[in-house]
Amino acid sequence: MRRFSLAFLAAFVFIFLWGWLYNGVLLKDVYAQTQSLWRPQNETISLFHWIIIGQAILVLAFVMIYASGFAGGGVAAGIRLGIMLEILAIGARMMMYAVQPLPAKLIVYWSVGGLIEMIVTGAIVGAIYKPTTSAAI
Amino acid sequence: MNPKRFFIAFIVTFVFIFLFGFLWYGKFMQDIHNEVPMLWRTEADFGSHFPWLILGHVVMAFFLTLLYARFVPAGGAAAGIVLGILVACLYIGNNLVTFAVQPLTTKILGGWIVGNLLEFGIAGAIVGALYKPSTAV
Repeated sequence: MRRFSLAFLAAFVFIFLWGWLYNGVLLKDVYAQTQSLWRPQNETISLFHWIIIGQAILVLAFVMIYASGFAGGGVAAGIRLGIMLEILAIGARMMMYAVQPLPAKLIVYWSVGGLIEMIVTGAIVGAIYKPTTSAAI
Repeated sequence: MNPKRFFIAFIVTFVFIFLFGFLWYGKFMQDIHNEVPMLWRTEADFGSHFPWLILGHVVMAFFLTLLYARFVPAGGAAAGIVLGILVACLYIGNNLVTFAVQPLTTKILGGWIVGNLLEFGIAGAIVGALYKPSTAV
């Protein structure tokens, strides 16, 4: 449980900071080109807690999937899981692109950023989380 | 890995999530989505982007099946439901973040959350019921 909590916290801090750096700083100009699709900044700030809750749920689900089926594989297994989950997310982004007037380059940027995010998250979780070993007598 | 079972599970899962998406997001939630028309492509524009919708479903069904085959290959429908719900939580986390930055209504957010839980819970059950690992003799 301690390892689970540590993995969750470390991955959450990384995803929060990465999300801020990538979406809030690096992609700022790309978002500015599609303003009609986004809330005004003051509105987003008033709903900021949903970003934190959403990222916490995402990280919790990631660590639970890792702990249930990939634990023991270390960093490599964490990275493999991260890549698989990100490709699932890319599938969802393709659907989003089909229904929302998002520029194709934003989908590409999200997918590149998402891949980096999930690989690093997987490495963090794989490095920190260790399954409980039952002592064999 | 059992390629024949994998392929069957992937195809059935694809058909299910495609039909579910059409009924839930396209029909049942149509009026709710139309409350914020600026967020969606026009019908003609959507038609020209339709291949992305199909490709997105293919990617999603394939990687959900792959995740199950790596995660709990002999777990059956119950393990598939658990995996499906955990995957749904990844999407729900992302939906909450999207809600903070896009002018979605709370009805849309609620519909997406319930839709994700149903879609991935049932898809997980389908994969779990159909996929069986190869038995080594």
